[in-house]
Amino acid sequence: MSYDDVEIEDMEWNEELQAFTYPCPCGDLFQITKEDLRIGEEIARCPSCSLYITVIYNMEDFQDTSNRKTEPAKPQPVAVA
Amino acid sequence: METAMERTQQALQEDDEEQQEIWSWGAGTDGQLATGRLQDEHSPQLLCSLSALGPINFLSCGGAHVIALSPGGRVLTWGRGTSGQLGHGEMVNSLQPKAVKALESFTITHVSAGWNHSGFVSGSGAIYTCGDGSFGQLGHGEFKSLCSPVEVSFFSSKHVEQVACGMRHSLVLLRGNKDNQVYGFGFGKRGQLGISTEKVKSTSLPQITMGLTNVRIVNISANGDHSAALSADGSLYTWGRGFGCASDACIPHHVDVALSLKEVALGWNHALLLTSEGEVFMLGGHRHGALSGPQKTSLTADASGKLKEGIVRISADHSETKVVQIAAGAEHSALVTDNGSSSVMTWGWGEHGQLGLGDTNDQAIPQVVSLAHISAEKHPISRVYCGSGFSFVLRTYDSDSQMREGT
Ligand SMILES: [Zn+2]
Repeated sequence: MSYDDVEIEDMEWNEELQAFTYPCPCGDLFQITKEDLRIGEEIARCPSCSLYITVIYNMEDFQDTSNRKTEPAKPQPVAVA
Repeated sequence: METAMERTQQALQEDDEEQQEIWSWGAGTDGQLATGRLQDEHSPQLLCSLSALGPINFLSCGGAHVIALSPGGRVLTWGRGTSGQLGHGEMVNSLQPKAVKALESFTITHVSAGWNHSGFVSGSGAIYTCGDGSFGQLGHGEFKSLCSPVEVSFFSSKHVEQVACGMRHSLVLLRGNKDNQVYGFGFGKRGQLGISTEKVKSTSLPQITMGLTNVRIVNISANGDHSAALSADGSLYTWGRGFGCASDACIPHHVDVALSLKEVALGWNHALLLTSEGEVFMLGGHRHGALSGPQKTSLTADASGKLKEGIVRISADHSETKVVQIAAGAEHSALVTDNGSSSVMTWGWGEHGQLGLGDTNDQAIPQVVSLAHISAEKHPISRVYCGSGFSFVLRTYDSDSQMREGT
């Protein structure tokens, strides 16, 4: 069962992971890539646990795979590795 | 008024003979367990290196970092630091507890660890924040992250008493006021700031939380997209994301449980309530203890009875054991009983070993965590603290216990 339903605008673009992310209760992040979204995938998984969320978005917003900006409003500060 | 924390501080300062143990377990891949290893632990780990740094009387556990407060108001942090939440002046993880140097000249009296941000309150009533600021949750009027604690200037002429950091928002409680005493800032889409009857996406400057006029608030809590406050007469107010099937609340509303409450602990989908009688109730959490597998028993089937809709009573065990403290992780829960050994019990989601029961199973009802005793004669007092997917216990041995037991 999906842990939660999350709107794409509430997810954060993570430059390092090249994915949209949302906090997972285990402490890690649910992740989904632009390519996933382009092909209509709506499940964002956490690499550390069995939980997943359902991402709510308009598939049309991700159809254009050229360099069109699809990042959400708030840029994620880049973490120094 | 003397707070519980001040009393604890005095007690600890007066007694140098006191021994303390610090235990941790659960998700550990960001160094949040302070074991020096980057791995999960399914059983309680005794942390000798942390104990060696001196007594600790309060912990706050966030998404994957921990803030520890010493009796003298010194602050140590460790765990995930990639958003600057450790306050060490850099954006890196720390496997070992390290003092927050930027706060060394202040006596810190209250701390809170959110998902990826941190808040610190000094004895003189100033508040400092650091970490992820993308949603305005640091309160500085901008959306930048900070790797060293910076004073929130909005409160510079006010006396801050407490801070509570949630997933992407923060709450502040001022001292003394009867009105305008709670403020919110950061992400507000689920109503968790309580600053408007209409939903506010976010604010990077603190705003007054509505609906708490003529109520003296003594405690605030935040976790996930939830917010809560307890009044001096033991009434509970909640706002933000609704529990269970309840809808979101944009301003605080009184939760009528017809009981006087002593503590509230918020998870991401549940709240634990501790009554002054030592009973525990849970709000929401319909999947608590059944997250990993849908086929497992849901809590409602095991709980002894439903009070009001969505509120269940939690039984510590079969006897009339009283509960003295509660804590909530994102999806797990913990309590401390007042039996002679001050037992710690856990239940909820266990996939990362956050229940400390030696496995990764979920538990629908509280189970005793086995913590070895250093001394059979001495009387331990346990305090439990939960982060998103991990847990800590501070266990202090009271040197007066033999006398006490003799009476
Ligand atoms: Zn996870």
